[in-house]
Amino acid sequence: MISNLIQRISALRHASFKGGIRPAPHKQRTLVSRIMPMPLPEYLLLSLSGYKEEHLSPVVKEGDQVLKFQIIAQHHSRKELLLHAPTSGTIEQIGTNHIRLTCDGQDTEVSQQSQQKAKMHSPASLIDCIAKAGIIGLGGAGFSTAAKLRLAARAEVETLIINAAECEPYICCDEALLREKAQEVIRGAEYLMLASGARSCLIAIESDKTDAIAAVRKCLGDSPVQLKLLASKYPAGDERVIIKSTTGKEVPDQLRPADVGIVVQNAGTARAVFEAVTFGQPCISRVVTVAGSPLQTPKNFYALIGTPLSHLFELCGLADNAKHIILGGALMGRYAEEEQPSVKKTTNCIVATDSENFPQPMPERACIRCGYCAEACPVGLLPQQLLHFSRLQDQQELRDHGLMNCIECGACAYVCPSNIPLVQHYRCSKEDIHLLERNQAQSQHWQARYQHYQYRQKKLADANNRKKTRAKAADLAAAPDFSRASAKMEVAAAVARVKAKKQREND
Amino acid sequence: MSSISSPMQFAARQTATIMQQVLLAATPAILISTWFFGYSLIINLLVSSVLALAFEALALKARGLPIKYHLADSSVLVTALLFAVAVPPGSPWWLLGMGIGFAVALGKHVYGGLGHNVFNPAMAGYLFLLLAFPLEMTTWHLSEAALNLGSSASPLGLSALLQNLQLTFPFLADSLDIDGLAMATPLIESKMSLQSAINRALAEELPVLSRSAETGWEWINIAYLVGGLFLLARRVISWHIPCSIIATVICWSGFFYSDGSSSVMGTPYLHLFGSATMIGAFFIATDPVSAATSNPAKIAYGIIIGSSIYAVRVWGSYLDSIAIAVLFGNFLAPLLDHFFRPRIYGQGAGRKLHKPKAPDNPLSTQEAMHERT
Amino acid sequence: MLPLTDQPLATGLVWALALGCLFWTTRRFWRWLNLERQQQRSLVDLVNRELPQTQCGQCGFAGCRPYARAIAQGEAINKCPPGGEQTIARLSELLQELAEPLDPGHGQSQPPLVAVIREAECIGCTKCIQACPVDAILGGPKFMHTVIAAECTGCDLCVEPCPVDCIDLVPLRQTPRQWRTPAPVAQAGLSATATTSEQRAW
Repeated sequence: MISNLIQRISALRHASFKGGIRPAPHKQRTLVSRIMPMPLPEYLLLSLSGYKEEHLSPVVKEGDQVLKFQIIAQHHSRKELLLHAPTSGTIEQIGTNHIRLTCDGQDTEVSQQSQQKAKMHSPASLIDCIAKAGIIGLGGAGFSTAAKLRLAARAEVETLIINAAECEPYICCDEALLREKAQEVIRGAEYLMLASGARSCLIAIESDKTDAIAAVRKCLGDSPVQLKLLASKYPAGDERVIIKSTTGKEVPDQLRPADVGIVVQNAGTARAVFEAVTFGQPCISRVVTVAGSPLQTPKNFYALIGTPLSHLFELCGLADNAKHIILGGALMGRYAEEEQPSVKKTTNCIVATDSENFPQPMPERACIRCGYCAEACPVGLLPQQLLHFSRLQDQQELRDHGLMNCIECGACAYVCPSNIPLVQHYRCSKEDIHLLERNQAQSQHWQARYQHYQYRQKKLADANNRKKTRAKAADLAAAPDFSRASAKMEVAAAVARVKAKKQREND
Repeated sequence: MSSISSPMQFAARQTATIMQQVLLAATPAILISTWFFGYSLIINLLVSSVLALAFEALALKARGLPIKYHLADSSVLVTALLFAVAVPPGSPWWLLGMGIGFAVALGKHVYGGLGHNVFNPAMAGYLFLLLAFPLEMTTWHLSEAALNLGSSASPLGLSALLQNLQLTFPFLADSLDIDGLAMATPLIESKMSLQSAINRALAEELPVLSRSAETGWEWINIAYLVGGLFLLARRVISWHIPCSIIATVICWSGFFYSDGSSSVMGTPYLHLFGSATMIGAFFIATDPVSAATSNPAKIAYGIIIGSSIYAVRVWGSYLDSIAIAVLFGNFLAPLLDHFFRPRIYGQGAGRKLHKPKAPDNPLSTQEAMHERT
Repeated sequence: MLPLTDQPLATGLVWALALGCLFWTTRRFWRWLNLERQQQRSLVDLVNRELPQTQCGQCGFAGCRPYARAIAQGEAINKCPPGGEQTIARLSELLQELAEPLDPGHGQSQPPLVAVIREAECIGCTKCIQACPVDAILGGPKFMHTVIAAECTGCDLCVEPCPVDCIDLVPLRQTPRQWRTPAPVAQAGLSATATTSEQRAW
């Protein structure tokens, strides 16, 4: 308890935030060794699915021979969403969501790939180079880096934050990367600074990652990048939380960080940017943490995108007591549901679970309103109230209590003494609210179209009416006049004509 | 597996552990109270606990819920503890039974059980007894040794138990051959004279460990304070409610302190350590289910309770005001929750959450339509 | 009253505090009243906002706005199949009425539908184009007609006028975007008040 107290007091000088939890890190065994290179697997399963509409379409056919770095899939309209072949081989199968590539072991590269490196270090040229490399946010969200930088440049951001806070248990890929390749990350950060037009750059690391901090300090030199230490709490690495703790600014739910003048990039993304800009190398591999107590030697790997997870687990020695695979960390990950899960660009960690560290959740009890969840929430919400309203499905109150600001970090469910699956409740309610908002937007859109339809019909009807009245008037003008007055006039004219004729005959 | 959502790991103390830590925190005070005033309190506690468990089991059976599973969360033991401390020691067992029955059944299960009660069950039970049986609730049945603490006889004798049995089962009086002893309203007396007694004690510097009523009360309250600090250190309760109650009581009593007056407008020290404020601040008002929920609301809750404690104690006609004050706070807790909310990340002043932008041109919601293709 | 006559300062402070609270409360209340008045919208508009705007006529009225007007006059709220349970629930909350189940006489609630024209059979008569209330069909006389799926509401009004009966209504393709997190289900009998699966209607 004393050491806890000392830790808390010394953490006062680090950038911190209200709330948060301190789970056991489970990173020590994994960080014993350096990041290991990975031997080529037999085949690669490259995923085509993306976030929202970012589903990629293949540009190769089954049976094609592809070379390393060749583009094998791209988005139909957004040019910066690309998938490159991580190694040479044959395309064995193309499914709706994946491409299966059989590796031939030769690792032959596309010729002159280095031509893809940035010609100049101007923002446009850098962003172009990043777009061609198909780099997306490697921290987990997976937004296209080029698109984010373009947005940032347009919004004239001031600060770039490199997010190296790895707060979740088990994940240590960024820490290992910084330990060994700090120079590359910092150079990448400088390129990102140029590309986004940011005036200052911070690299934010949790204070207990001493090796990584020392490595970064050694490489900083007179770089414009500054080091910022964070209090080591979970979830220090969430984008909005890290913005608040390092710069003090807050990003409300409807805005983006670029709207408040900040852009955040992951440390792994910075390194990928360095490789793309310096060597023209596209995003084909990343550091993946393979962890869990059933593993004999948990490690970090330089894994190719598309590596089957079974290959990685074999390299670490998987014991029999492993139960499931978690993609991600212990608090925000999800169970792998695919038949053959593989490494995607956003996979930062895979954990093999055993029943000791990941026990079956205990049955749910009634909420005793103890308030531990509210103490743990980093965004200042009241989870006990949100649970109440979520059960009642009262969407107005949920919105008023800020449910849409929930970052789904799981800190509340982590501390709940009644074992209530809070995050699941909130996810359901958020989906309900999103569905309702989508339906309402759709209804408004249809209503607008219907009103335009009615306007158009009215215009058509008016035009028809006008045509009819004009035609009627023209008809009236052209029709022979059978009125009495005109008949009298004609008779009088005929009589006058006859009289005149008689007069001429008499003369 | 897809039905289980993140997080996958938990560190939560269970509800049962939290309740047991509360019981642990109250133990020093119980022991010191026994040392000074005899076994009566222990008898109260034992009888209340057993009856509470019995009533809870009955109520759970009536609601069709698994009994063992729900009894395992020990919440009813905390109710029994607070109830037993509030009700005069040495009370007949039927009084305890009625009170705890009311507390458990009508103060808790009628509302939906653990987590759903509006009022603090122990205080609801106590107030029911106070209104229904005012005479019994204002009479302390202490052993003679406990009554005259200055004498050499120790209050730790069996006479308390025998006296209690005789009170509960009057038909046993003859066979047990006890002289019944009753002391009228030491609390009312204390209202008048305890202040002067404690002032005298402070002035005359009585030896700290002497067995007198003044230092007895002090030590008991210090023990509750220590228990409360233990709960704070273990992060079972948060500091907001106890600190605001104590601060409010200090403010009010300091404000209105008039030296020499005969009423109980005593020193802040008296109000904190000469009465039940400590147990109220740390144990009773912090009952999570009936208290306010968010930290700002908790501070307002504590201020209201502290003010009520002082007001009812000084200007009201009840003995001690903790129960009434806490119940008053419970009334207001939902309202406080509504108005005193913490600021959410991203909120501006005046609790304005950023509203979603309405689509300016309805035809530009093509983005929302794309997923339909 | 407070026995504070011998402490004027204390009395004054307490009075000032009490009056200040009263003033602040009154001001807040007045502001809130005014805000409510400014935001007054017609009931018909509010009801119309909850309806799905498919203009299908299944409720028996000529479009969604006429139905909204009727609801404001007291019409039953359970006549809209495209809106389904969600619309009925929201209307019942808005109007403080009891939520009845969907009236089966006005149709069944179905998953979202889109119209699809079998182009091989289309004769280019433009009858469906004239019938569509949201102009979701593209085409001209003697030209191929096709439904713009993104704009189609699934209202069914184009199917009848078609002389060659070449329009089908098919359910929308399910994408991962429509996947919903399953609602948490408490173990039966353990927690008396945790959510059970029946309680989440939609």
